[in-house]
Amino acid sequence: MTVYLRQVAAIVRKDLLLEVRTGERLAAMGALTVLVAVLFHFAIDQGLVRMQLLAAGLIWMTILFGGMLGMGRTFEMEREQGAIQGLLTSPVPLDGIYLAKVVSNFILVTLIEVVALAAYWLFFGFNYGNDPLLLAGVLGVATLGFVAVTTLFSAISAQTNMGQTLLPILIFPLLVPVVIFGVTATGRIFASRPVQEVEGSLYLLAAFTVVALTAGTILFRYVVEE
Amino acid sequence: MSLARIRWMAAALGVLGVAGVLVLHWLVFFWVGTERTMGIVQRIFYVHVPAAWVTFLAFGITALCGAAYLWLRDERLDWAAQSAAEGGLIFGAIMLTSGPLWAAYAWGTPWTWEPRLTLTLLMWFVFVGYFLVRASAEDRQAGKRMAAVIGVLGALLIPLVHVSVLWFPSLHPQPVVLNVEEGPTLDGDMLITLMTGLLAFTLIFFSVFCLRYGLEHMRYQRALEMREQPRAT
Repeated sequence: MTVYLRQVAAIVRKDLLLEVRTGERLAAMGALTVLVAVLFHFAIDQGLVRMQLLAAGLIWMTILFGGMLGMGRTFEMEREQGAIQGLLTSPVPLDGIYLAKVVSNFILVTLIEVVALAAYWLFFGFNYGNDPLLLAGVLGVATLGFVAVTTLFSAISAQTNMGQTLLPILIFPLLVPVVIFGVTATGRIFASRPVQEVEGSLYLLAAFTVVALTAGTILFRYVVEE
Repeated sequence: MSLARIRWMAAALGVLGVAGVLVLHWLVFFWVGTERTMGIVQRIFYVHVPAAWVTFLAFGITALCGAAYLWLRDERLDWAAQSAAEGGLIFGAIMLTSGPLWAAYAWGTPWTWEPRLTLTLLMWFVFVGYFLVRASAEDRQAGKRMAAVIGVLGALLIPLVHVSVLWFPSLHPQPVVLNVEEGPTLDGDMLITLMTGLLAFTLIFFSVFCLRYGLEHMRYQRALEMREQPRAT
């Protein structure tokens, strides 16, 4: 078990180191996140709608698009350089590779969420409610589910000649629960509603995340096997 | 199953299915009583519900055969999964076009975010993704495996999508749910017409399924022959 964890940690470390050195994905994701917020400013007539009421929806759509942009490249770089062969033939079990990719993507998307929350606060002065811990919990659980699905499908889209164009068509139908319960829960947290009103959504998000993560861990081997 | 037998089955099922559809249309247009509140548009029901049933059936077959393919790696399972998915896509399209036509009159709006509607729309898109991945995979074998993964994952997550949409806090009207669940309380003639529709559409589906399966079978045989030819000459 410890060997397994060490192997997973090694891949996570490699991915993050690569990200720190090149900054490729993070820069693109961060820029997109801020730019989407800018476009929303012009897309919505703030004389007609109070932005705060839309806050949860806007933030979630931004996270989804920003996250997808970066996660679509989870396996691209390794495929371009042929490094994927080395990774797949290494003694690390295939599910370990999947989990490592989920962890590194989770860290990236979490950073993007911080950028998104900051950008929306800066541009629109959003009020994020008075329970930052619960907010972090909901965002964490929902993000893990989102990342679990997207990482698996980015391994699929990387092996097609349509590449990342295919990714949203594959993941959006399956991410509906994340959007529904993510938006519901964060919306209520933003409105400082009592915890009881958030719990239900949180449990369903957790159920989705568990199913997605389990299915991804089991199915990943079939996607990448040679 | 031999190719000749598949062909024979496809033909037999096709003839029965087409006959069933002709009977269904006669029943729908000339025989069954007109529903009181919705009037004549309610007759779309007899096409819509069977199409929906076949779509769900097809998706189930695709998911099961996909999972079995990943496990056993028998090409025939992949042919079956693919054939069912194609049928599902077509019947799904019938359902998704007949539904709004009916709803436009019955509810006064072509689309509402009613759970069943949303679910079937999303399911249809999972089918679309299934074929996009198959068609664009750089490696054919990988394409088959990835398509199977989509089928399985779709089947696992679709129930969750269904639950989420059910609990989505909005004002979704209930009439369609009642309409569908009213099945047993339907008038006798309506029930007979609906059952005819279900039978006819299922027969047509399996006929198309056999045809499609036979085609894959032939392609496979041809590929084998092509591989052997250079050695023979």
